[in-house]
Amino acid sequence: MDFILSQLAGFGTAFVGLAVDPLTYLYLIASVFLGITFGALPGLTATLAVTILTGFFGNKIPLDYSLIALLGAYVGAIYGGSYPSILLNIPGTAASAATAMDGYPLAKAGRGGEALGLTTTASFIGTVIGTITLLIFVWALLLVSKNIASPEKALLALFGILLSGTLMSEDLVIKGWIAGLIGLAMSMVGLDPLLSEPRYTFGWSYLMSGFQVVPVLMGAFAIPQIIDGLRHVEAGKVLALKGRILPNLRSIRRYLPTIGRSGVIGTGVGALPGVGEDVAGWVSYGVGKTVSAEGNKFGKGSLEGLLCSETANNACIGGALIPLLVLGIPGSPPAAALMGAFKINNVIPGPTIDPEIILRVVAILVLASLTMFLMGLFTARVFIKILAIPQTIFLPVVMVLTTIGSFSVGGGINDLYLMLGVGAVAYFMNLMKYPIAPLVIGVILGSLFDETFRRSLFLSDGDLSVFFSRPGAAILLVLNIGLILSQLPVAKRAFSRLKGLSV
Amino acid sequence: MDESDDTLIMRARDFWASIGLIAISTFFLWKTSDIPLWGENRAGVSGSDWYNSAAIVPLSIFGGLLGLSFVLLAISIRSGGAQNALSALGIGWDKSEAYRASTIGLMLLAYVVGLVPRVDFILCSGLLITALTYGYYGGHARRALVACVAVVVAGLFAFAAFPAQADWNARGDDWFTLALWVALTLVVLTKAASERVLRFVPLVAILAPLILVCAMAFVFRQNVPARGGLIFKQIEYHYYVTLRPLWKD
Repeated sequence: MDFILSQLAGFGTAFVGLAVDPLTYLYLIASVFLGITFGALPGLTATLAVTILTGFFGNKIPLDYSLIALLGAYVGAIYGGSYPSILLNIPGTAASAATAMDGYPLAKAGRGGEALGLTTTASFIGTVIGTITLLIFVWALLLVSKNIASPEKALLALFGILLSGTLMSEDLVIKGWIAGLIGLAMSMVGLDPLLSEPRYTFGWSYLMSGFQVVPVLMGAFAIPQIIDGLRHVEAGKVLALKGRILPNLRSIRRYLPTIGRSGVIGTGVGALPGVGEDVAGWVSYGVGKTVSAEGNKFGKGSLEGLLCSETANNACIGGALIPLLVLGIPGSPPAAALMGAFKINNVIPGPTIDPEIILRVVAILVLASLTMFLMGLFTARVFIKILAIPQTIFLPVVMVLTTIGSFSVGGGINDLYLMLGVGAVAYFMNLMKYPIAPLVIGVILGSLFDETFRRSLFLSDGDLSVFFSRPGAAILLVLNIGLILSQLPVAKRAFSRLKGLSV
Repeated sequence: MDESDDTLIMRARDFWASIGLIAISTFFLWKTSDIPLWGENRAGVSGSDWYNSAAIVPLSIFGGLLGLSFVLLAISIRSGGAQNALSALGIGWDKSEAYRASTIGLMLLAYVVGLVPRVDFILCSGLLITALTYGYYGGHARRALVACVAVVVAGLFAFAAFPAQADWNARGDDWFTLALWVALTLVVLTKAASERVLRFVPLVAILAPLILVCAMAFVFRQNVPARGGLIFKQIEYHYYVTLRPLWKD
């Protein structure tokens, strides 16, 4: 009890500190607005919003304001994806794909206002559930993580890359792993972290410091999106919004169990390293369909189905920040962009992170979700108008934003060449259905993996048993091996046979 | 095209991708041999053991990549990818898609490599925004070509006329880019009568880079590309000489 009270007191201090600063509101309103706009425009994603703002705000303003801008955009964009899902039947972001299943039929039936109002409320409650979980669990995990040494860190980084590769693959799982390995390989460029041995620099001094995170993020997430999005798409007909947006308390109370369950699922999925909001939305939708009394109505305009995915994808935000803050392993692709922002501000997320930063992150998330809630309820019609803007107008401006953001982070023109090169690779990977998130997570975690893996070997004089003689390392090693083995065709066949037997 | 066709196309592409990956990982495995593995002195540290080497992790990564590439090759061959790999139809070659992506790619290349380092940021970004919007709004192939030619010619001129970094502040390429931008804007405006969206293009093309570059330079006080550019130099001069003293004094 004392622990919870002290946590709440710390959170209260951070919250008041931010709330009394007028600049907080300027950054909050601007970033949440921008985030919702990015989410609402099909073709622009939450990851792109956070990535672009990382380049723009990353290290140019005090860390608090930078975090407000990035977290505000993150929260706003995940929520904003629901607008085109409900009114156009086109998911604004991958995270809202499940939302369209029930949102659009509801809008067609003249219940668009009700759907949007409840979605806004559920997204708000979902974000708060994720944030409270973050506030409570991050400390418990931080205590545990203090006992984590190099072998565990190396295996955990590997697990994050493997898990992200496994769950983010649209086609073959092996493609996700290859993407992760390409990311790891990219992180090997430059001076090695222990002996300063130059690796793959080809005599180019720029490469001595390795690939910078921001240009890689920009290249991987923005360039393919721009190339892919610049095509003429007939703007879909936005359904007229009927009914009042402000939800009544009775319907909120009625759907509270669904919102609560979906919030917990979303937070749990978000806490898995490298797994994003889209997976959270689908998992929650699937669970809802199984356990709900009106499961047979899912996909035909069920409010419960709508709330399952929308609550979970926003709750995922808090969850995704848990592994990021505790272990330095991003829980989702936008969290990977956030990690980039931390890095360029010389903040190293992980067991040694300043606890004040965690409290401020929690306070910012609460403020951002409140701003999103109010904007969603009272300015929804502005965002509906934004749905009519063609991508061909918006994406060229995004390209210019990306360029100046990438340039100004520090490396100058070389960073732009790197961004373009990574963008070309990412575009072809997209074309061949390789997921991009494991690549970025590989680049971000590569140096951690390299350093901790080799430090483990240094300290044990090359004795590989260091990776299974410690209990934590042994568990992680089993998880890594189990994850790989579970994807082998033999294992998959055995699983499906077992499933058949149990039925 | 049904799902099985899509899978076949994907496996044919996987065939080529795996061959590319095998070549790349083999090259980097060979390149890793530049990093001492056994017993040499490294960065002043004498190490005679393999685990001291900076090559150990890269070797594992590229070794793993090579192994997975062979697995992908096997999967693609077993699924019929190799049989389709040599035909355009087999790899799902789409001429219009290739045209679209390559024109955009060329524009981005000309912008980043040729224009951004040498030409005023407002001018080159204005040209890019105008070209991309005009070229791809409405899905007209001819417009995409016109837009691509405008940006690539500007980029090539800047790159060829002022290749050395010492000359990047020269103004010739700025004027040339400005001329191309004006010309393209006039073309856009002739079409704007029938396509309402195009009316906003000149406004967006001027305002977006102008606001961005000013915010970056004067609000966040960050470095911006081509500080000596035709327009930005004037803005910077008047900001410090004319405007700033108004509130500084």
